[in-house]
Amino acid sequence: MLDLLAYDFMQRSLLAAAMVGGLCSVIGVFVVLRGLAFVGAGTSHAAFAGVALGYLIGWPPLLLAIVFGLATVWITGWVEERGRMKLDVSIGILYTTTMALGILFIGLMKSYNAEVYGYLFGSVLSVTPEELSIIGVLSVLVLGLLLLFAKELYFIAFDQEMAEASGIPARQIFFLLLTLVALTVVISLKTVGAILVFAMILIPASTAYQLTHSLTALTLYSATIGILTSVAGVLISALWDVPSGPTIVLLATTIFFIAVFFSPKRVKRARLVHSH
Amino acid sequence: MPDPRPPIIRFDQASFGFPGLIALKDISLTIYDGEFIGVIGPNGSGKTTLCRAVLGLLAPVEGHLHIFDCACDELRCYHRAKIGYLPQKGVVDRNFPVTVLETVMMGRYGALGLFTRPGRKDRDIAMEALTQVGMDSYRDNALGQLSGGQQQRVFIARALAQQPKVLILDEPTTGLDITTQHNVIELVQHLHDELKLTVLLITHDINMIRSRVDRLVLLKTRLFAAASPAEVLKPEILHQVYGKELVITDKDLVIVEDYHHHH
Ligand SMILES: Nc1ncnc2c1ncn2[C@@H]1O[C@H](COP(=O)(O)OP(=O)(O)OP(=O)(O)O)[C@@H](O)[C@H]1O
Ligand SMILES: [Mg+2]
Repeated sequence: MLDLLAYDFMQRSLLAAAMVGGLCSVIGVFVVLRGLAFVGAGTSHAAFAGVALGYLIGWPPLLLAIVFGLATVWITGWVEERGRMKLDVSIGILYTTTMALGILFIGLMKSYNAEVYGYLFGSVLSVTPEELSIIGVLSVLVLGLLLLFAKELYFIAFDQEMAEASGIPARQIFFLLLTLVALTVVISLKTVGAILVFAMILIPASTAYQLTHSLTALTLYSATIGILTSVAGVLISALWDVPSGPTIVLLATTIFFIAVFFSPKRVKRARLVHSH
Repeated sequence: MPDPRPPIIRFDQASFGFPGLIALKDISLTIYDGEFIGVIGPNGSGKTTLCRAVLGLLAPVEGHLHIFDCACDELRCYHRAKIGYLPQKGVVDRNFPVTVLETVMMGRYGALGLFTRPGRKDRDIAMEALTQVGMDSYRDNALGQLSGGQQQRVFIARALAQQPKVLILDEPTTGLDITTQHNVIELVQHLHDELKLTVLLITHDINMIRSRVDRLVLLKTRLFAAASPAEVLKPEILHQVYGKELVITDKDLVIVEDYHHHH
């Protein structure tokens, strides 16, 4: 295993996995608390459609992924704000539409393109130095903004109207959160893939949710779980030659079920039932 | 006789509504600094809408609303932070991972503004607010594990942590047992007396607040009265809003007359 670590590609993938794991799990806390889980899923498929279009017309795939991702979250947020439609309905429609577009774009390509599929399922072991630096810069940007607006983000997740009433620019903060979700999805596309990025956002935060009643602890636990499972997933994938994305997600899921089983919240409830 | 205290909230023939519906029509009402106002009216009479309007969450479709001498559509976040608000009881997600102290700290966020992290001073203010509502020993408990009445106290503490000039409480006693109801109203009275807050208290329990408030505001889409309890709690005024079954007993209690009593 130590010989593995000597390879450049291995160091790059571990670094990429750690950054993506940390980023997804931290933003995941706000996504889970604000009830935006489905938005994460919708955005990743929209971003994938952007990637496919990029390869089809020869534009930078990540650029189009950002455009598609941002368009999806902004439309969703706007629709929710207007109260015209429930969030899950609008995102459901956008989700399936962009997925259809993605499949259409792939179908229009004259030849089989393995790289496109890399974005679907993730290929962390093939991260290039340029991609790594893009991931690095964007991760620092997103994490920085999350940290900068952490108190406002917590408040709108708890109760957006109350936040607005007590002097928080709640609508702007909500759109900031949506924008950061879209950016996170795009950053993670190459590493975990469009299908699994959603899991990386959702699972560490939901696991931490089982374990604590405090917001600060929730974020720390989530980040720890996210980073550890990502790094461990990459190592396992390299050692046993299994795909990295699914390995990371299955590791995280395992921890999730362990946490559900040993959750202090669950234990307390069980005790109450027994005491009757 | 003009009131010597400065006006703090001023409705000027203001109407508020939602698409296809007018919730409040032609309201003219001035609330002065330090007043204790009770707001009463049947379900759907626009009481919650009145609160949301004062908070600047809803702009008038007609007329004007001034808060702290500032038109409400120009209301800045800074002003909102000066109004403490206890919303009408919604569903509190019992699983939401937040402690009592963290909940109260949220009251500091608006006052602090963006980019400022809450510090020791804010913690002290939050703890003091918790002490004021008698919940300081619960600071590290999960909010979801408290009873409804305890949660209500925590939310009042959050409003207090804003160090507001105005306190708006939308049915703070709904769903509480009678002793706790009484305690919460006592607490509000105490806060009004001690901290000299302007209080807007919305409730259906007219009897509990009648001896405490300076003025009663009676709403049913329109403003039917805004005067001292003695002036408002008269059969001919209440009947316009609540119907003829409402009677006032010789002990001055407002009750609904038993229909069968007469037959
Ligand atoms: N968000 C909304 N969208 C549409 N109509 C609304 C909305 N909120 C309130 N209304 C309508 O405005 C009117 C006044 O509602 P409001 O909530 O202010 O009444 P209320 O006096 O607080 O009633 P309650 O005693 O039941 O709390 C009602 O007819 C209600 O249906
Ligand atoms: Mg109401």
